[in-house]
Amino acid sequence: MADKNNQEIVIETDVLVIGGGIAACFAAVKAREQGVDVTLVSKGVIGRSGMSPWAHGTMAVPPEKKDKIRELADQAHVGGEYLNNCTWTERVIRESYARFQDMLAWGQPFLKDEKGDYIKPMSGNQEQEGRLWALEDGPGSWAKSLRNQPVKMGVRILEKVMIVDLIKQDGAVVGAVGITRNSFDLYVIRAKATVMCAGSGGFKPVGGWPLGDLTSDGHVMAYRAGAEITGKEFEDFHNGMVRRQGGIWLSNILPMTNAEGDSVPGFGFGLSADIEAHEGRAPLYRGEDEVFSGVALGLSVHTAEGVWPVDEDCSTGVSGLYVAGDSCATMIVGAAYSMGGSGSCNASVTGARAGLAAAGYSRQKVLPSINWEEFSELKDSVIMPARRKGGFSPNWVTQLLKNAMMPYYILRIKHADRLQPTLAFVEFMRDHLCPRLFARDPHELRLVHETKNMIINAEMKMRASLFRTESRGTHYREDYPLRSDPDWLAWVMIRQVNGKMTVYKKPIPQEWRPDLTAPYEERYPAAV
Amino acid sequence: MTLTIERIDAELCIGCGICVESCPTDVIRMDDKTKKAVIKYPEDCQLCGFCAIDCPQGAIYISPEKRTPLLTSWG
Ligand SMILES: Cc1cc2nc3c(=O)[nH]c(=O)nc-3n(C[C@H](O)[C@H](O)[C@H](O)COP(=O)(O)OP(=O)(O)OC[C@H]3O[C@@H](n4cnc5c(N)ncnc54)[C@H](O)[C@@H]3O)c2cc1C
Repeated sequence: MADKNNQEIVIETDVLVIGGGIAACFAAVKAREQGVDVTLVSKGVIGRSGMSPWAHGTMAVPPEKKDKIRELADQAHVGGEYLNNCTWTERVIRESYARFQDMLAWGQPFLKDEKGDYIKPMSGNQEQEGRLWALEDGPGSWAKSLRNQPVKMGVRILEKVMIVDLIKQDGAVVGAVGITRNSFDLYVIRAKATVMCAGSGGFKPVGGWPLGDLTSDGHVMAYRAGAEITGKEFEDFHNGMVRRQGGIWLSNILPMTNAEGDSVPGFGFGLSADIEAHEGRAPLYRGEDEVFSGVALGLSVHTAEGVWPVDEDCSTGVSGLYVAGDSCATMIVGAAYSMGGSGSCNASVTGARAGLAAAGYSRQKVLPSINWEEFSELKDSVIMPARRKGGFSPNWVTQLLKNAMMPYYILRIKHADRLQPTLAFVEFMRDHLCPRLFARDPHELRLVHETKNMIINAEMKMRASLFRTESRGTHYREDYPLRSDPDWLAWVMIRQVNGKMTVYKKPIPQEWRPDLTAPYEERYPAAV
Repeated sequence: MTLTIERIDAELCIGCGICVESCPTDVIRMDDKTKKAVIKYPEDCQLCGFCAIDCPQGAIYISPEKRTPLLTSWG
C-alpha cells in the first residue's frame, strides 16, 4: 500500500489548463502563443480521455458561405426550442473555419473523397452545402495527434493527475490541487489564471457514451468556486445497442421495432424508445441487434450544460477562472441537438478564446502568496478519504447512485412524484455517505472524488428538472407535457448561496423569443 | 458479473505500458514482478476498447460473446 504520508509537489505557472481534450489543447496552445508559461493537467492521457477521441467530425463553415451561417443559426434556434444563446451560436459558427484551419495546421488527419475534397455531412441522401464534415480516420486517430501541438509549443504537461479542487483566495482562483495514481502525493499548482476544460460527465454508464472518466468534475469545481451552472435538466438521448454478433455500440439515428414486432415511430435518438418501454413494449430491436435505453447517462446535450460564460472571453464571473468546451454552457444548440458537429467545434472555439483571455489576465497578475492555514483545510478534504480506516467504498456508493438515477423513469420520462423522492435520496448520499467515503489506494481516492462530484451533478439534475415545470427539448415532464412559453422562455440557473444549492430563472432576451401569436405547432415543429 | 475487457495475453505482452496509458479509467496496471500489463480494476472498465486498439501486439481481448445484461436497462 502506498504511503499515506503524502508529499507535496508544488508547481508555479502563469496559466493552468485543466483537461486533455479539444478545448484544453486549444486553450493551452493559444495561451502559449502569447508567450506565457502554460501547464496542462489531465486526468487521463491527451487524446485518450474524455469525449474528444470519439467525435466523428467537426463543423467548419467556410467564410464564403455566409447564407449558411444564417440558416444554421435559425436551425439551432428553432431546433433548440429557443433556448440557444444566439450570440454564441453565431460566434461559434463564424469561428468554426478558423479553428478547423488550426487543426489542419497542427497536422490533424481529416478524410477526403476521391476528388480531394473534405467529406461533407449528409442529411437524408443530400450532401450539406457550405458545411464540412471532417471525419477522422478510424476511432480516436485524430485525437492522438491532438497532443502534438501543445508538446511542440512547450506546454508543461501532467497526465493521469486528477484535479480535485480549485484554490480560491480573496475571491480569486489562484490554482488547483490534484492527486495522482501511484501514491497519495498531492500536486499543488499555483497559477495566475485557470482555464477549466474538464468536459462534462455522467454516472459512469457502461455501453452508450464512453464517458466513464467524466464525472462532471469541471462543473462541480467551478460551482464550488462560485460560478453559475445551467442546463442540467436536459438529457442526452443517444441509445446504446447490444449487437447480436457481440459488443455494444452507441447508436445514433436508427429505425426500431418493439417487442410486438411493430415499428417504433420516430428515431432511436429521442424519447420514443423510452415511451415504448413505459408502455410495456420493450425490448426494442434494430434488425437483430437489441437497442437498450432506459439508461439515463447523467449527461446533458453537449454545450447546453455547464458553467455559464459571462462574456465573450469565457470568463466565469469568478476572477481568474475561465471555462471552455463541454465544461462551458455556451448553449449554442439550446435544449436539443440541433446542429451537428457543434460539440467539438464549440470546444475549439471556446478553448481558443478562453486560452487567449487567460493569458492576458495572467500578464496583469503576480502569483499571490498562499494562505497556508486556509490551504491546509482544502488539502485535508482532498486526502481525508485515504486516512479513514473504514466507511463506504466509492464503488458501492456509485452503484447506488446509478440504480437511483439511471432508470428511464427518472431523467428521461420525469414526474415530480419520482423526482422528489430521488432528490431526497441524493441529499442523503451527499450528507451521510459522502463524508464517510474511504479509499484503500490512490485509484480509489480518485473514485471517491469522482463519486462526490457525480452526487452533486445528480442533485443539480434533480433540482433543475423539478424546477422547470414544463417540457422542452430533451426535458420531458409527464406532469407538464407541453411547452409553456409565458413562463419558460428562460434558462434554469444554479448557484451556491451560503453553502446551499440555489435554483433560479434567467429569462432569454426579448429579441430571441419566438412569435407567440404563431400556432404551437409552428413554434414547435418537433412536437408534431 | 462485471462487463470488462477479458484478458491480456502474457505471452504476447511485451510490457511496453501503452495500454496502461491509454486506459481512461485506470483499469490496467503494470505488474511490478512480471513487468507485464494486468487487469487490475476490472469493475471500472467501460469497454471503450482503446487498450485493444492501441496494443502493438494485439495481446488484449475483448470478448465478442460477452452480453451481460446492463444494470439499469429494461428487459
Ligand atoms: C461517441 C461520441 C461521438 C461524438 N461525436 C461528435 C461529432 O461527431 N461531432 C462533434 O462535434 N462532437 C461529437 N461528440 C462530442 C465531442 O466529442 C465533445 O463535445 C468534445 O470532445 C468536448 O471536448 P472537451 O475538450 O470539452 O472535453 P473532453 O474531450 O470530454 O475532455 C475532457 C478532459 O478533461 C479531463 N478531465 C476531466 N476531469 C478532470 C479532472 N478532474 N482533472 C483533470 N482532468 C480532468 C479528461 O481527462 C479529458 O481529457 C461526440 C462525443 C462522443 C462521446
